[in-house]
Amino acid sequence: MRLQPDTASLTPEQTAATQQLLDSAAQRLPPAWVAALGSIPVAWRDDLPTQVHGRAKAKQLLLNRLLLEQWMARPANAGIDDPATRAALSAVLHELAHFYDRTPQGRLSRAPRLLDLAGWQVSPLRLGLRTPHNAFSDRSPDPYELSRASEFVAVNLEHFLLDPDYACRRPALHRYFSEHFDWAPAGAGCAPGQVFLQADADDGESALLQLEPWRVYAVDYLLAEANQEPMSRWGHSMLRLVICAPGRPPGPDCRLDLRYHRVLSFRAFVDDVQISSWRGLTGSYPSRLFLLPLEQVIDEYTKVELRALQSIPLRLDQTEIAGLLERAAQAHWTYDGRYYFLSNNCAVETFKLLHDGVPRLADEPLASITPTGLLRRLTKAGIADASVLDDPAEALRLGYRFESAGVHYQAMFDVARSGLGLPQQDAQEWLELAPAQRAPWLERADLRASAALLLLEEASLRQQELLVRDELKRRYLEQGAEPNAGGFEGEAALRDFLRTEGFLSRPAALLPNGGYGLPQTDERKALELEGERYAAQRKRQGVALRVDARKWMSPERRSMFEGVEANIDSLDKQLRRLHKEQGGMQLQ
Amino acid sequence: MIRIASACLLLALSVPALASSFAGSSAGASSAGSSASSGSSSGDDKVVRQARDEAASFVASEGRIRGARLEAALRQLRERDPAAREASDMQLAQAILAL
Repeated sequence: MRLQPDTASLTPEQTAATQQLLDSAAQRLPPAWVAALGSIPVAWRDDLPTQVHGRAKAKQLLLNRLLLEQWMARPANAGIDDPATRAALSAVLHELAHFYDRTPQGRLSRAPRLLDLAGWQVSPLRLGLRTPHNAFSDRSPDPYELSRASEFVAVNLEHFLLDPDYACRRPALHRYFSEHFDWAPAGAGCAPGQVFLQADADDGESALLQLEPWRVYAVDYLLAEANQEPMSRWGHSMLRLVICAPGRPPGPDCRLDLRYHRVLSFRAFVDDVQISSWRGLTGSYPSRLFLLPLEQVIDEYTKVELRALQSIPLRLDQTEIAGLLERAAQAHWTYDGRYYFLSNNCAVETFKLLHDGVPRLADEPLASITPTGLLRRLTKAGIADASVLDDPAEALRLGYRFESAGVHYQAMFDVARSGLGLPQQDAQEWLELAPAQRAPWLERADLRASAALLLLEEASLRQQELLVRDELKRRYLEQGAEPNAGGFEGEAALRDFLRTEGFLSRPAALLPNGGYGLPQTDERKALELEGERYAAQRKRQGVALRVDARKWMSPERRSMFEGVEANIDSLDKQLRRLHKEQGGMQLQ
Repeated sequence: MIRIASACLLLALSVPALASSFAGSSAGASSAGSSASSGSSSGDDKVVRQARDEAASFVASEGRIRGARLEAALRQLRERDPAAREASDMQLAQAILAL
């Protein structure tokens, strides 16, 4: 490579400064890059728009003359952090990256793996074509990189060459460039592991979860089976991280450390109580990647929605798991996609995460637009091991399947019925009784029947809760239609709650501008504070909302609600009493 | 069209959170805190408390319905408590249910 500045209109000082700048840039280039380029004329121009620092024409490199003036005016021993120094060097490196990208050795902006990492993802609906829009737009070092692949390459090569922490913030791209050039610039030490925001952290747990890849024993494809609700007809696809409890060496025993397991789930954030099919079709809900506690996900599906979950192990090695986690963290902090019912739903998002996170899977025919379709293809390709479901009892015992609570209601009713001689025919009929009508029967139950009845009362409570939710939703929406109706006192509380959730639904929003990619040490500290503040606020508002909800309920609903709670309370006491009377073992 | 299309939109944070703010209040509404440190008793307790529903179906079904949360709790109890190692699964499930 020979950079040949046009010095005709320059003073000797300007000529010397130009040479110094070009030398300084050239010194930072990998040998393979230098070897690929020939002679390039360089000219300072004052006819470029102010915001344009340079242009890589077909045969000539143009630079904005303002940069030269600022470069010459920089302090004597200015380092790379000095804005003028940085701007001038960046401009030269950026344009040289374009020149390099056009050589046969370069062609980075056409490399499929680079496009995966950059965020022009393959789309199952477009016959493997890539999405024209790059949604990895949060925490970008320079939004210009999103305009097209060649600019992405040029901007990222600037940062690869100039930022000591590029390897920490965009590790996969750093590895990609280092392998490509067989060379890497000196780097800084990175903050350990990956971090994720936990909106639902337990009391005393940090709102920021730090995850070391070696603690993840396995990754499962987690499928929520479909039910008859229109929103759940296809099931939902997620990934389960089988994380080992602190102190337990990675191995099959980690499968039962359920409390530590986390779920990666793409969710459309709905900033309202009502989901609109129209908004879902037209892509007006953001789709973002969240990390949720497995136990919360189990409860949500099996108890609230009465859907079963399948957890099918994926055959991935430790390096692949680490790569997938890294990609998940990148998506968590930077992906701000749009949810489309057909072309960008949870199955498509999960497919893309696997495709981009585990390069081996990019070669497999996995593309599917339904959660069950994706599982079928993963199984067919030998990646998912569905044989864990072959023995249904073992599958339940070891957590490869979580049964819908609804499946057992009838069995529980049969137990209670044969013990007590209940006149009702089935569980449905039993649950349709008023709580006060069920109460006298409960008192006569033995230990076994009490256990069965407890589960049915809890089912009844959840049923009541869903009815309350629907009632509140209706009132909220009616109120929205007539702003002056003034009948819904809880509206403000609900709005506040939704607003706080909105903040927690966009992890990047909790960080100040400036940093890019994966959060590093200082940013993590800031995140812990901010995250905790919002999580505490959300918890407080949630509790207040629950208290208020009691006031908003109709009197009939409240009496049903309280009746079920009283039944549960008396069954709890009864279970303790019977256990004690039988001389049962007491846990500490 | 819209019916098929409404596939797997998982109602995001807001709606389920609203649901869960009302749901699950029966078992442990006063959800005791769990410390981040390993082996803390409150963390252990949570594993056991989370297994209460599964302990109930285990007891009611005389051992036929046996889920992973119960399995995790049984392991936890036996790792921690020598007396639990001597006890049968049913005895432990009944003890969890009586918590």
